[in-house]
Formats: sequence, C-alpha cells, structure tokens
Amino acid sequence: MSANGKKVDVLIVGAGAYGLSCAWWMARKRTGASIMVVDQGEFASGASGRNGAGFRMQWGLEMNIRLCQESIRFFENAAEELDYPRGIDLKQDGYLVLAHSEKAYANLRTAVATQQGLGVPSEMLDADECVKMVPALGRNRLVGGSYCARDGSASPFLWLDALLKACRREKVDVRYGTRVHGIRKNGAGFSAMLNEDEIEAYRVLLCVDWAAPELLASLGVELPVVSLPKEAIVTVPCEPKVRPILISLEHHISVNQVNRGSIIFVVSRAREGSEVRSTPDFLAFAAPRVIDLLPGVADVPVLRTWGGVSSLTPDMQPILGQTEVEGLYVAVSSYRGFMTSPAVGRMMAALILDDDTNDPILSKLGPRRFQTGDLISEPLLNQA
Amino acid sequence: MPARWIVVVGAGPAGMAAAIEAHKRGCRVTVLDEAPLPGGQIYRQSAAAAKPREFAEPGEIARKKRLLEEFAQARPIDYRAGVAVYAVFGNREVHVAQGERTEVLCPDAVVLATGVRENAIPFPGWTTPGVMYAGGAQAILKSQGVLPGRRIVVAGCGPLPMVVAAQMLRAGGTVEALAILSPMSRMLRRLTGLWRGREILLEGLRYLQTIRGAGVTRLPRHVVTHAIGGRRLEAVVLSRIGRDGKPVRGTERELACDLLALNYGFTANSELAAMAGAQLKFERTGGGWVPAADRFGRTSAEGIFVAGDCAGLRGALVAEAEGRIVGAAAAGAADLEHELREALWRRSNHQAFQAAVRATFDLPPALWSIVTDDTIVCRCENVKFAEIRQAFQSGHVTPNAVKRNARPGMGWCAGRTCLRAIGELSEFCTGAAQAETMTARPMARPVSFAALSNQTRAAS
Repeated sequence: MSANGKKVDVLIVGAGAYGLSCAWWMARKRTGASIMVVDQGEFASGASGRNGAGFRMQWGLEMNIRLCQESIRFFENAAEELDYPRGIDLKQDGYLVLAHSEKAYANLRTAVATQQGLGVPSEMLDADECVKMVPALGRNRLVGGSYCARDGSASPFLWLDALLKACRREKVDVRYGTRVHGIRKNGAGFSAMLNEDEIEAYRVLLCVDWAAPELLASLGVELPVVSLPKEAIVTVPCEPKVRPILISLEHHISVNQVNRGSIIFVVSRAREGSEVRSTPDFLAFAAPRVIDLLPGVADVPVLRTWGGVSSLTPDMQPILGQTEVEGLYVAVSSYRGFMTSPAVGRMMAALILDDDTNDPILSKLGPRRFQTGDLISEPLLNQA
Repeated sequence: MPARWIVVVGAGPAGMAAAIEAHKRGCRVTVLDEAPLPGGQIYRQSAAAAKPREFAEPGEIARKKRLLEEFAQARPIDYRAGVAVYAVFGNREVHVAQGERTEVLCPDAVVLATGVRENAIPFPGWTTPGVMYAGGAQAILKSQGVLPGRRIVVAGCGPLPMVVAAQMLRAGGTVEALAILSPMSRMLRRLTGLWRGREILLEGLRYLQTIRGAGVTRLPRHVVTHAIGGRRLEAVVLSRIGRDGKPVRGTERELACDLLALNYGFTANSELAAMAGAQLKFERTGGGWVPAADRFGRTSAEGIFVAGDCAGLRGALVAEAEGRIVGAAAAGAADLEHELREALWRRSNHQAFQAAVRATFDLPPALWSIVTDDTIVCRCENVKFAEIRQAFQSGHVTPNAVKRNARPGMGWCAGRTCLRAIGELSEFCTGAAQAETMTARPMARPVSFAALSNQTRAAS
C-alpha cells in the first residue's frame, strides 16, 4: 500500500519498545490524531528485540527509580491494559545487584536508601545472603548486593507484539520494512521520504535510538548519541540455578534465567560500531568472566549468541523531548528502552499531543541539557 | 614459506576428497568431523569391533571402500573425529569443541563439506516414537547392523525410500508398504541424465527387484497423513494425493507398523557458511537455502569454500568429484580449468544424473495442508502450528519474524529441524515467496562455558 502524498498528524520513526509505546499512548487518547509508525527492519529486529529482558527499580537516581516504578506497574497489568490475554511472560523473581568492592557496596547502600524513600521494597544483603539466594554464585571479591523482590523480567517479543496489536486496534498505521531516507521542514510540519513515497507529518518523533543523529543532521540538529554494541548469550534450558536476575557492575554482566530454563547473559564490552553480528572473540572474552561470576554454570552448554546495539549518551541518561526544531521530538533510551517504555510512552504522548511540558522527569531529560551542561549521572549502570 | 593451511569441515565424500586433493598439493590439512569414523552419512562406517553386514549394493560398497582407503593413505592429515565445529567467522576463524576444551583455528582457507539433513515435514503424530527419518533408520542399520523396527512403512519422495526399504528387507525386516509421493518415472524426462548415471540406475533397479521380490505393497502418489500411537508407533494412515496435490477423501488406509521411515528430501547444512557471511540462495528441491558458490566452490566470503551436498543436493558421486575440485581450488592451484579438466568433466556427468533425480523431490505444496493447528512444528520449544499461523496472520512471515513472535527455532537444535518447514508453511499460508532464512548465529552446536574458557588458538 503506497503512502505517497499521505498526511499524518504524528510520524514515529522506529517500531521498537519506545516507538510502539509512544504510539499506543497517543492513540489511546482518542484525540483523532492520525499516527503512523515506520521501521526499516521487520518485527522486533532492532535493539528492543535483542535485549536482556530484565527490569528493575533499583537505581541510584530518583528519576530512574520513578520511571521504572511506573513502568513495572504497567508491565504487571499489561495483559489487561493492552488486551493481550496471553500475557508478556512476566516473571517477578527479584533482582540482585552485586557489589564486588567496598566502594560499590557503599554506592548500593546509598541507592537503597533513596529507593526505600520512594517506596521501593529493596534491601541490602551481605555476601553470605547473596550466595544463599544463588548458590551458583562465586565468592571471588563478592562483598554483597542489593535486592528487590518486585523486579524481574518479561518477554520483549511478547511486549512488542502486545503493543503492536494494541496499536493496530487503535488504527495506528504501523509499517515494517519502511526506511526513512530524509526529513525536511515543510511549512508548519515536515516532509519525510519513506522508501519511494513522500509523506507529510505535522509532528515527527524519532525513536531510533543511536540512529537518531543521522536523521537529525539533515535538519541541522545535533544530538550527542553514539551506538554501543553489546552481545548476549543464551544457554540450553537447565534446572533452576539463578532465581533472581543478577547484575554485576564489576563484571559488566547481567544474568536472567527465564521460565523455560534458559539462562541469558548480556555482556558489555567497550567497543565501537553498530554491528549486530556476533564477534569472533566474544565467547572467549565472556566465558571466563561468566565462570568467575557464577562458577555453578560452568558446565551449562551455550546454545546461541547474538548481538544488539544500544545507545550511549554523554551522561548515560535517556534523551526525551522536543529538539530545537519545533514539532521534532526525540526519545533516545540510552540502554533502558524496554524497561522504561511504558512510562516514557505516556510522558511523550502527553508532551506531543497535549503540549504538557510540566512533567518533572521530562523537564530534566530534554535534549537541551547538553547545551546547558546540566548532565545527570546514574551510579548503578552495567556499562563497560 | 610455510605450507598453506586448509581446514575441512566434514569427512563425507566431499570433505575426504577435498582433504586428499589439498594434501596432494602440499598443503597442511586439518579435517574436523563429528562422527567417530570418516565416511559421512552415505559412507557411514560402523564403530563396532565386529563390523555389521552391509546391505548396500556392491557398487556403492566398492566406491566407499576405495575413497576411505585413499583418505586413510593420505598422511599426514590432521584428522579429528568426534569434534564439533560450533562457529565459523568471515575472518576464516574455525571454532571447534573437542571434549572439555575449545580451539580456534585460523587457516588460510576453509572448505565446508557439511552435507545435508533430512527434511522434517510436520503432520499429526510425527513426533511419535517410531517415526524416523529414512536416512536415520538406515544409519542405525549401517552403524549397528540392527533393524530399528520390525514392521516397517517407508514413505516420502526421491530415491532414498526405495533404497531404505530394500535394505530393510535384506536385513530381515518386513516392509508393510512403500509409499512414494512423486513417481520415479519423472526421471524419464531427462534421458541424457539417466544414461550418464546408468551405473547408479542399475543399482537402483536391483533395489527395486528386492522390493518386487518381497511382494511389498507399493502405494504410488500416497502420503502419510497421520501417525497413530502414544509412547510407541502403532499404525499410520496413508491417503492418495489427488490432482490438486491434496489428499483425496475416502482413500485413507490404516496400516499397523512399529516403524515409519520417512524421507521428504533434504536441507543443506548451510549454517556455518551463512555464519561466515557467505551469501545464500534458495533451491527448493536442492536443499533449500544453500550458499551461492562458483564452479570451484568459492563463496562470497573470502577464503570460505563449499563442496558437496551442503552447497545444494548433489549425491555422493558429484560430492566426491566436487571435493577434489574445491580441495584443489582451496589449495591455491593456479590453472584450475586446465588442471581440473577431468574432475570437472566427471562432476558434470554426475550432475546430469542428479538433475534427473532432483525432479523426484518435487513436493506438492498442498502437502502442507495436512498440518493441523494442534500439530507440533518446533519440537524443541513445543510450538504448535496454531501459534505459527497466528504469527503469519499478524504479518510476520519471514523465519526471523516468526521466530521472534512464536519462538520456533530458538531451542536445542537451533532450527535445524523446523526452519525448512516454517519457510514452506509461510509460503503455503501467505503466498509470499521465501525471501530470506533465519539468521545463522553461533553456536552451531551447544558448548559449555568451561570448554569455551579453556580455549587455545592455532594460526598458520
């Protein structure tokens, strides 16, 4: 179906967790605004379909805690909210953030105090308690961790499918295999070249994460986002070894044993590029680190590896808001798109359709902070 | 200058011939194979101390013996049995698991001779114990000398069901019926090919004689629509295929049996080539998604060669001739056209016969109409057809999209069993031609973290 000459109120570029969530929250306002979402790949082929599936409220910054508190509440009710009876494979078996140094442990303690002040049921555990909870854990350098029982994981594939179906029910025009070749200002709105078609959009929202700068460049907007490749490992299904999700800030590894028994490891390693293919030396890099963190899984066979690309911003915080070009918005996840997508979708819908600029979180995460220098720093990131 | 290092993956006819040829040209050669002994599927050897009787035709036995001897005499070749290649990368790194350790080989060229596997076509009851691939049943007979069943129904397409039925009879089994989907007479459309393959054709006729002599019920243009049984196969239901390619109502017949040996053609083991970045092309009756290669086995990935069935179904004779060609090319032979004239000629002769054989692998598309909503399509992840159909209806038609939507292909076998069926089912249900296959990722075989961290590297 050709889109040539079509006019839409909002064009969203990117059908990942952010793009689809923003579209759904806009559509459910029933303002009559026409919404189109385009994605150059196929269903779940980008970063949202490649992530480690975990979500947590255990952050150090109040805004990150609040974003995830709201999002997790939504995940808990996703089956009803999105009318998706199959559910999104929600698993709330807790999340254990590990510290392998006294300094990291002290950071966790400060963060837990902030979390508890906001009503997050998190707590500190010493090394013995961590090992008791996860007997497969290694004791090398382990000092302790923080734990929250309501954190957990869900299936990103089912989450995206639930959003996609809900969007289409609300008459959102979601198109895969549709590449945006360029966007230019056209009167009060924009013209966008999609494959061979030119369409007009009153407002444009870019949810393409690390690929945003390329599209913004033609509009004269600079955004300090770079790509950060990551690789993941999934094992064959095995008996329960890791009940809560684990994250080790020192190892740069997160671990999630899903309901089917497979264990997923997301391993960060400093490198550049936007290549999603697995790299030849990845397994030799990752395997000793996995065994150091979790000696109990040494004999578990690895089934598959895959690569993904997440976005990295100068302060490792999302960029959410209107750019210096009126009507042009960005939502860059900085590596937490899946777990923050419910709240971000709601906020961006209010910003774009209601011009609601009063949100205390959005006002701190706008793209202009890089000009004013108001950078923010989150201490509990699994980043190489 | 140190000798050029060639790593050959697979020790079937193509792999052995490639290794022999590269060795002959002064290369350092490493052969990696999963089986305990060389031979591959077709020339499979028994590892038992007392070799079981062979039930193949004498001509095939002689070809097998000659090639195995030639391979054994080509020394030194670093031949490693019982190892698993779990990844090949575009930089020609070959990652291999051997027991509790792994090794990364960095040769000058890689020859992938990984063969084919049998197509799994789902139908109600196909996961019942006692339903086997025909080649799988034959492998048990070859390696252990025992019959995997007593009352046997053999079905499918192409020549393998006939060969397996005859060998089961010669081993003392009872073949209740032989049901062939496409008549072998289709081969008559390619008379030149038949003439060039007359030697093999005669072997085929002798298998046919065995079947005729035993008075086996032959059911041409019949298909298995149902396997019945709980913990063990008890019976199968066969129906005649009508002109529209669908089973005709009222033609169903139930046959009691404890083994159903099926072959619906083959799928190329092209995962390693794809992982290395080689471009693939689709050949429906030639193995599905196969690496595109030139006459000398060169793929689009530099230094990555393919030979034999993994580059598209060819049979053992083409595979052996091609192995010699590709082995020489990988060894860096200068004037390939001239030097390999004889092998090229031999290959083209065998290929003409193979083209005739391929015509019998054509499956009626409506075969896919036998699949019901309750039929399991992905055994590893227990995905039923209903879930896959729903994914198609939501517009997810490529194997990658279906995988992300319903999980088929994400389990133990990494899609080796169900991927082909998903592509064909997608085409049958949506009418959209197959434009791509599932992305091939490491690991081609599961390997433990312990083995992965106990890794050495070997460069040329």
